[in-house]
Amino acid sequence: MEISNILKEETVNLELAVSSQAECLHVMIEGMEKAGFVNDKAVYLAAVNEREQKGSTGIGFGVAIPHGKSSGVAAAGLAFARLAKPIDWNSLDGNPVQIVFLIGVPEKDAGNEHMKILIALSRKLIHEDFRKKLLAVNSAAELYAVLQSI
Amino acid sequence: MKKILAVTACPTGIAHTYMAAEALQQAAKEKNVEIKIETRGAMGIENELTAGDIAEAHAIIVAAATDVEESRFVGKLVVKVAIGQAIKDPQRVIDEALAMKPAAPDYIDQAAQSKEPKKSQITGPYKHLMTGVSYMLPAVVAGGLLIAVSFIFGIEAFKQQGTLAAALMDIGGGAAFALMIPILAGFIAFSIAEKPGLAPGLIGGMLASKLGAGFLGGIIAGFLAGYIAKWMKENINLPKNFAGLVPILIIPFFGSAIVGLLMIYVIGSPVKAIMDGLSSWLTNLGTGNASMLGLLLGAMMAFDMGGPVNKAAYTFAVGLLGSGLYAPIAAVMAAGMTPPLGLWLATVIAPKKFSVEEREAGKAAGVLGISFITEGAIPFAAADPFRIIPSIMAGSAVAGALSMVLGATLKAPHGGIFVLMIPNAVGNLAMYVLAILAGTIVTALLISVVKKNKTSV
Repeated sequence: MEISNILKEETVNLELAVSSQAECLHVMIEGMEKAGFVNDKAVYLAAVNEREQKGSTGIGFGVAIPHGKSSGVAAAGLAFARLAKPIDWNSLDGNPVQIVFLIGVPEKDAGNEHMKILIALSRKLIHEDFRKKLLAVNSAAELYAVLQSI
Repeated sequence: MKKILAVTACPTGIAHTYMAAEALQQAAKEKNVEIKIETRGAMGIENELTAGDIAEAHAIIVAAATDVEESRFVGKLVVKVAIGQAIKDPQRVIDEALAMKPAAPDYIDQAAQSKEPKKSQITGPYKHLMTGVSYMLPAVVAGGLLIAVSFIFGIEAFKQQGTLAAALMDIGGGAAFALMIPILAGFIAFSIAEKPGLAPGLIGGMLASKLGAGFLGGIIAGFLAGYIAKWMKENINLPKNFAGLVPILIIPFFGSAIVGLLMIYVIGSPVKAIMDGLSSWLTNLGTGNASMLGLLLGAMMAFDMGGPVNKAAYTFAVGLLGSGLYAPIAAVMAAGMTPPLGLWLATVIAPKKFSVEEREAGKAAGVLGISFITEGAIPFAAADPFRIIPSIMAGSAVAGALSMVLGATLKAPHGGIFVLMIPNAVGNLAMYVLAILAGTIVTALLISVVKKNKTSV
C-alpha cells in the first residue's frame, strides 16, 4: 500500500501548537475527518481514549502512537503531528511527547495491510536515526519520503 | 557464545509487541549477542521459537502482558520484564538475561527435550517428501478402495455407462487417482516453499500425471516447483509497493510456467522415449524365454507403478492378451499385486519399521493389493524410494517369473482376486496363487530387512 493512501496533507501537522493530549487528539482527528478517513469523530475518539486508558501509547523517546479500531473510521488512515512544544502523554519513560502518530483502522477491516504498515512503523520508531529524520522534516512531501522507507 | 531468546506480546498487539522486539533486536546487535525474538501480536505468532531454539538458549526474555505459553520454558532461565521495560531499556534487559546462571544440572530440561516428538528432527528433502506422501495417502486409499468396490460388480462392470460400478470407477480412477500425483507434487512443493509452492507443485504434478511420468515424475515436479518457488520468494525483490505481487502473481505465473515447461520438454520427452524403447525391446524379446520374460515384466511393473516403465510392461502384456497369449498378462497382474500386498505383510511382520500412519495405510494397501491396484504401494515407495522400490521389484520379479514358469494364464486384463474367483478365467489357479504368495513374501522379507527402524531415524 502507498503511504500516500493512508497519510494525507490534511493529516500532517508540522508545528502543532497544543497544550494537552486531548487538544492534540482533537486537532488530529479533525484532520482525519477532512481527509475522509473518519466519518464519526466522537465514536473514533472514544476508541482512541479507551486504548489510552489500557496503557499509554507514549512509547518513550518523545513519541506517542495513539490508535483505535472503530466503526467511526471509514478508511484506514494515519495522522502525523510534530508539536511546537512537547506535551505530557503519561509516557513509559515519563518524558513529554513531541511526535504523535494517530492511527485509525475501520471496525470491519478485513485486510491486514494497514496492520503491516503500523507494525513496520512501530519497529522503525525504535531507531534513533528514524526519529531524528521525523523531527527534521519540513513538509508533507519530506515526511512521505521518510515514511516511504518503511 | 550465549544465545538469548525473547517473546514479546501486548494486549492490543499493534505497536508495543513489535517495538519491544525491535528494541531488543537492536540492543542485542550492539552487544553482539545472538537473539531470536518471537512476536505475538496482531499478525499472530511470528518467528516462533522451536524446541531446538529453547534447548540451546542460555536464557529467555519474556516481555509480555499476555499469555505466551510459558510452559515451553520449564527448566530454562527466564527473565520476565514489563513490555515497557524492554522498549525503554533493552540493554539492561539483555544484560540481565546474560548474567543469569543455571541453578543446577537441569533434569526437567532434559526430560522435556526427550518428550519433543522425533518428527522435528526430520529435515530437508526427506521431510518434504514425507509431507507430500502424507497428503497423498488419503487420496490413494479412497481411490483404490472405490475402484476395488467397483470390481465387486464384475471386472468389466464399470464399462457399462450409468451403472453404480461405472460411477465408483469414475470417483476412484477418474478423480481420486488423477489427483494422487498432483497432491504428492503439490505438497512436496508446499513443504519446501509454503503457499507460493503449492500451485506450481500441483500443476507440475498434474503434468507428470498427464505425461505418464508416474509418481517418480511427480516427485521430480514437486521438488522442482518447491525449490523454484522458494528461490523466487527469497531472491525477487520488488519495490515495497509491488512486493505483494510476488506471492500471488510472479511466483504462480513464472513458477508454474518454468516447472510446466521443464516437465513437458525435459521430463516428458524422455518418458515417451523410455516407453517406446521398452515396448519395442519387449516385442523383440518375444515370448521365448518364459522365466526371463516373467522376471522382466514383474520388475518393470513394480519399478514406477503407473509410470512409463510400468505402462510399457502392462501395455505389452495386454497386447499379447489380444493375440491370445494368456501367460504374460498373468505374470503382469501377479507382479502388480505383490507390491501393496508385500508392503501390507511387511507392516504386519515388522511394525517397528513403519510410522503409525503407514501401519494403518498398510491395511488399505492389502485390500488394494488383492484388487491389483498397484498404486497402493506408491505412498510407501515415495516415502522411501531407495529401499522400497528395489524390494518390491525383486518380489514382483519373483511373482512374474514363477507365474510364467508354473504356466499360469489369465484371460482378463485386470481384476485381482475378483478375477481369480471367476471360473476358467485363470489357468492353473493353484500355481498362480502360489506365485503371488511367493512374490508377496519375498517383498515383505526384503522390506523388513532393508528398511530402517522408525524409532532410530
